[in-house]
Amino acid sequence: MLQFVARRLLLSLPVLILVTLLVFVLIHVVPGNPGRAILGPEASPEAVAAFNRAHGLDRPLHVQYLTWLAGVLRGDLGRSLVDGTPVTTLIAQRLPATVELAVGAMLVATLVAIPAGILAATRQGTAVDHTGTVLALAGLSMPQFWLGLLLIIFFAVRMNWLPASGYVPITVDPVQNLKTMLLPIVVTGLRESAVLMRMMRSSLLEVLRLDFVRTARAKGLGGWGVIVRHAARNALVPVLTVSGLQLAGLLGGLVITEQIFVIPGFGRLIVDSIYSRDLITLKGAVLVAATLVVLVNLVVDILYAWLDPRIKVTGGSR
Amino acid sequence: MPRIAQMVRWLVGRRIRTLRQAARAGAHARARQRVLALAAAVLILAGCGGGATGGGGEGASTPPAQGGAGGPVTITIGINADPPNLDPAMSSALVDRYVQNSIFDKLYDLDENLQVVPELAESLPEVSEDGTVYTIKLRQGITFHDGTPFNADAVVFNLQRYLNPDSARYSELSAVDRVEKVDDYTVRIVLKQPYSPLLYTLTDRAGMMGSPKAIQEAGDQFGQNPVGTGPFKFENRIKGDQIVLVKNPDYWREGLPKADRIVWKVVTDDNIKVVNLKAGQLDIIDTVPAQSIADLRSVPNLKVEIGPGLGFQGIYLNTEKEPFNNPYLRRAVDLAIDRSTLVQVVFQETAEPGYGPFPPSSPAAAASGEPPQRDLDQVKALLAQGGHPEGFQFTLKTATGPVTQQVAQVIKDMLADAGIQMEIQQVEFGSLLDDTDNGNFQAAALGWSGRPDPDGNIYPWLYTGGSQNDSRYSNPGVDRLLDEARRVLDMNQRVELYRQVMKQVHQDAPYIYLYYPKNVKAYSAQIQGFVNYPDGIIRTENLTKVR
Repeated sequence: MLQFVARRLLLSLPVLILVTLLVFVLIHVVPGNPGRAILGPEASPEAVAAFNRAHGLDRPLHVQYLTWLAGVLRGDLGRSLVDGTPVTTLIAQRLPATVELAVGAMLVATLVAIPAGILAATRQGTAVDHTGTVLALAGLSMPQFWLGLLLIIFFAVRMNWLPASGYVPITVDPVQNLKTMLLPIVVTGLRESAVLMRMMRSSLLEVLRLDFVRTARAKGLGGWGVIVRHAARNALVPVLTVSGLQLAGLLGGLVITEQIFVIPGFGRLIVDSIYSRDLITLKGAVLVAATLVVLVNLVVDILYAWLDPRIKVTGGSR
Repeated sequence: MPRIAQMVRWLVGRRIRTLRQAARAGAHARARQRVLALAAAVLILAGCGGGATGGGGEGASTPPAQGGAGGPVTITIGINADPPNLDPAMSSALVDRYVQNSIFDKLYDLDENLQVVPELAESLPEVSEDGTVYTIKLRQGITFHDGTPFNADAVVFNLQRYLNPDSARYSELSAVDRVEKVDDYTVRIVLKQPYSPLLYTLTDRAGMMGSPKAIQEAGDQFGQNPVGTGPFKFENRIKGDQIVLVKNPDYWREGLPKADRIVWKVVTDDNIKVVNLKAGQLDIIDTVPAQSIADLRSVPNLKVEIGPGLGFQGIYLNTEKEPFNNPYLRRAVDLAIDRSTLVQVVFQETAEPGYGPFPPSSPAAAASGEPPQRDLDQVKALLAQGGHPEGFQFTLKTATGPVTQQVAQVIKDMLADAGIQMEIQQVEFGSLLDDTDNGNFQAAALGWSGRPDPDGNIYPWLYTGGSQNDSRYSNPGVDRLLDEARRVLDMNQRVELYRQVMKQVHQDAPYIYLYYPKNVKAYSAQIQGFVNYPDGIIRTENLTKVR
């Protein structure tokens, strides 16, 4: 098992390096001059040139990239081009909010989707099933910013029950933290639950047609027992895959949600650093995001084995 | 890493054990436990991304005040962008100045009528007969936030730092030859030649005084932890989200500042900003979209203030490229636009029609001239003179955003009446700046936040090779007049010179001046001491909040 994890982590290194290389190339294809973007429209050309020189942005691209990579291998993600803040600090400031948002949203999504999916699958073709489908479609089609704004207007402006924005670290004040995070978590969670619910439904329907379910029924097991004890467990495998992907996606940042609820999240950091052409911060943030995706995938793989014993976690060749 | 794998294994393993033990346990519990296990594993994994120190304290989450006095007063101000760099030597964004003005005092400040008033200086400077030597007396007994004394040495240190070619202040102080200490509280600035805008320059970042000790320690990282003599001290910051300042208990102005904390909250979306003001999460917002004004005015506990601004907005025409290397075509576009309709359609009361670099608040406002009447016959005549009687086609590059889009659309329609086809190309802001720098455009919509001295609104824009002269306009006569206006100290004489410049510029039309944006601020009625300054900068020392 440990061997498997270590191997997987080792194998992901080239992937991560490839990702940074890709980002590096992409950001340099994008028009715009970091010095100008960072210093803004009111800076003189001399100041822009001096800035680019001072940060080595006038050196050949491969030199810039390798310098950065050498730093990363030493555990140094460099300093923001904008004001010299260490990139690790920026990421440490932004990641907690996004992790909380992503994990919370996935919790909400799972709690809503799995029961709903089971219900829809067991009542296939009934009004319950159709209602679920319609709701899921509505959840998917509703623009985040619109739903978010509506909720803010209702809960914060009209009713004054919840704050409209702001973020308090959970370590500082858990109650206030929950209050500020409730709306964004619910908005994101409901949206993600639509996908999961459809997945759960179709996956369960498939499993229910399998032999072992019939066997179990023949043995006299009641309806719910079979569904929950045997079928649902098998049906969870594809659902888990999707929710893993979803979680990884959410950890990459929820730019729109973060913007609407003014949360200092990871997504905003990435987008802001694109706009300000803060290449160093961008590279560091993308590297961390890619690492998170790799780790989440790894965890999902391990959980497979537990959910379905037929899937073996091995070190590859046997 | 292996440690984490063990953790996960332990967690998962434990789950399996419990599941086996609780073979008869309810299925729901089991499903929930699985979810919990998954979540816990992810949390632990995510937690290994580094000891996350949340930073910011209570931030903008202070609930609306519930009657009763006492307790520290926190004022939260919504700003539309993250200040890139709080170091006065490096800063080049308007939004930096919002925050810097609370942390740093300047040698001089502006009052509401744009008059220069002494701040760290004791009085207005003594200027020599020939206008090249400024002697400045300083206030005594002031210390920086870190305890360093403020004196002539500190002023010389700061000004010399700004005079370094790598500093963003270098061009503003290009006329300065040297800075000298006369005694502990007197400084002398010696100029190469007379330079009328100098005093105004010292009311902005070039006049901000940072602690020499802190600057020497931090070097080019000074912007991360700025130390001045101002009413508020830098406390902490989450980049891109908020900056927290706390009261400077030793502030030299008696009884100020009145508030205990100022939180600058970055909210890039106008609508979100308005909603947060209504919900009480924000006390003041720095800009208000025109379409929200009526809505905000209808809310009893909010106030909206509209005041004059310092800047202008318009369109660069590239005088080195087809089609606008042809002066007749430039002028045709200039005269085909009806400014007052444009302002009515897009801005209503939040802007004024404009025809020059000097808005109504400027001492040189008279030199801008009245916006011309739209005259399609004249436009047709100009097109014919320019060799395009049937009209012509060009592309306008403009930043993304609803307001810039509306402006472009209205202009497109106006030009179409004259047979001029304008394509609108939206470009992300960073790319737009790059394109205008490199002359990679035919026409580009970009404006200026403005400077209190008229020179700052015209010289860099129209002087040959000026830092903002992206039209690549060059006219020796204009250059001569602009240089002369820098040497003349009397404002009336300067305005006359600017008038002559604008006469020529209206003929040549290298830049289409369109409108003067006003400063629109909205704030909660609980806020007292708010004054809307033409430079748009919120002075925080007098702000307080009644409950």
